[in-house]
Amino acid sequence: MTPTVLVVGESSGGRLAGASLEAAGTARRLAAGDGEVVGFLAGAGTGAAAAEFARYGVGRVRVVDDARFDAAPAAATAHAAAAAADAVGAKWVVLAGTTFGRDLLGRLATRWNAAAASGVTEVAGDAEGLTVRRPVFGGRATETRRLVGDRAAVALRPHAFPSPAEVPVALAIEAVGAPDIPAALFGPKRTAVETAGAGSGPGLADAAIVVSGGRGLRAPENFRLIDELAASLGAAVGASRAVTDAGWRPASLQVGQTGRAVSPQLYIAVGISGAIQHLVGMVSSRVIVAINSDASAPIFKVADYGIAGDLFEIVPALTAEVRRVRGI
Amino acid sequence: MEIVVCVKPVPESETRLRVSADGTSLDPEAVKFVLAGYDESAVEQALLLKESLPGSKVHAVSFGPAPRTEEVLRAAIALGCDQATWVEAPPGPAPDPVATGRALARPIFAMPHDLVLCGKQAGDDEAGLVAAVLGELLGVPDVGFVVDLRFDVPSGRLRFRRATEGGLELWEAPTPCVIGLQQAWNDPRTAKLPAILKSRRVAIAKVPYAPEDSSAPRSVAEKFELPPPRTGAAMIEYKTPAEAAAKLVRVLREEAKVFP
Repeated sequence: MTPTVLVVGESSGGRLAGASLEAAGTARRLAAGDGEVVGFLAGAGTGAAAAEFARYGVGRVRVVDDARFDAAPAAATAHAAAAAADAVGAKWVVLAGTTFGRDLLGRLATRWNAAAASGVTEVAGDAEGLTVRRPVFGGRATETRRLVGDRAAVALRPHAFPSPAEVPVALAIEAVGAPDIPAALFGPKRTAVETAGAGSGPGLADAAIVVSGGRGLRAPENFRLIDELAASLGAAVGASRAVTDAGWRPASLQVGQTGRAVSPQLYIAVGISGAIQHLVGMVSSRVIVAINSDASAPIFKVADYGIAGDLFEIVPALTAEVRRVRGI
Repeated sequence: MEIVVCVKPVPESETRLRVSADGTSLDPEAVKFVLAGYDESAVEQALLLKESLPGSKVHAVSFGPAPRTEEVLRAAIALGCDQATWVEAPPGPAPDPVATGRALARPIFAMPHDLVLCGKQAGDDEAGLVAAVLGELLGVPDVGFVVDLRFDVPSGRLRFRRATEGGLELWEAPTPCVIGLQQAWNDPRTAKLPAILKSRRVAIAKVPYAPEDSSAPRSVAEKFELPPPRTGAAMIEYKTPAEAAAKLVRVLREEAKVFP
């Protein structure tokens, strides 16, 4: 018998996060056969996100329509998700391994008494449980882990799983009240959001393509070369520590050990020599391109494709070629 | 403020990784263990708060086997932590993050804890779950991916930013609270030699491991693999920048299939 799988969705402004759709697709695969997938959402105005679940084949969606969750930490949602998992008799919970999803996972696992794994890039289920693969040591190794026990919860690394195709089904919302959640969990409050500089582009962690600039750009005004290349590709902008330490770009754009780890489909490193500090944050990207004037720079050892040359000539030429090919 | 900071020994980031004989984990032989990078930031943040709030104390807690766990606790003392507690891990493979959280929660529950700081994740297993597990077990809220943590004395609340996919969020929280820290105000300090020497004589409280902490739930490592060595980039040969750009776009479209 295939089990019931709960997929916890993350939405903002009525849209389900792309990584939540990947989680929905994976939950459907794990429940293939006679299993059932149930969606879960908590917050105000989750109707549109629930409809999006149904568009991707998850018709039964349990919703806690309660605005308190919107500015509360993931801990509160974890309690509601654990209650939902119990109520629908779920054996496995799948969620997106975003910052929200990872904060949620540890709580859920403890509260719901389940084995848990974060940063998962492959997952398979059988009658005894789940087996996951996940990069460790900054992508320098991979572990295969068996989640033992009746219940398991996994957070999927964004972009590691395909976006599912649309398979519209009828939406059946089960609106329920919030379970009894300790008041202390609503103590921390988000009071504002400062969006990261670039504005319109995709977020760094969520982007399929990331273009990062480093010290080789020599001056803050030259960083627009990175912005322009990223815009032509629809990519997010990242930076090395040298750039954020110098204040050319905000610390939120730093890719690396002390910044953010990214694993896009394509990572383009421009004027970045490839200190280990930076490499651990991007080495698990699927395809890596390096553009650097120094042909012996360590970045070329981890890159799939390299161009040794003057970035001030190469990058504008590349932006022009991308625009030409994409017709923009 | 009574601050607890959780620290973990991890292999130095430049360490050459080797697979253990049974193929399920890292071979710890000849590996140099150090304080995990984000835990270093958590210690720095704890010390910065202590220095700005007179009468504060910082208590470092770690769970792991000898001798590396005792060594990172001594490193935390040398940096300026006041006390240290070591929960001794059993021999064998490292317990999973939930079991680790349980082992840490036991002594923390019994000590004063207005603020419990952890690094947001450790550079070895990269699970990043311990802060949330501790929050649930201690019965206090937790927030992860925190940067720029401050304590606002007039309101008695923590104020901080959280680095998320959507940008930087501003948060405030009451104490007690568990924080998974991404970055402190400053780069972590380094210990001075006299403090390192003195830390060797400081008494570290030992707590025996309670086997029920890892009874359930759990996960078991089955395989630990290293990727085939990267052979280095395929370098694009060109005469003009335009040719380099055209060749790169072509391989990204046709060979790597990642062109948008």
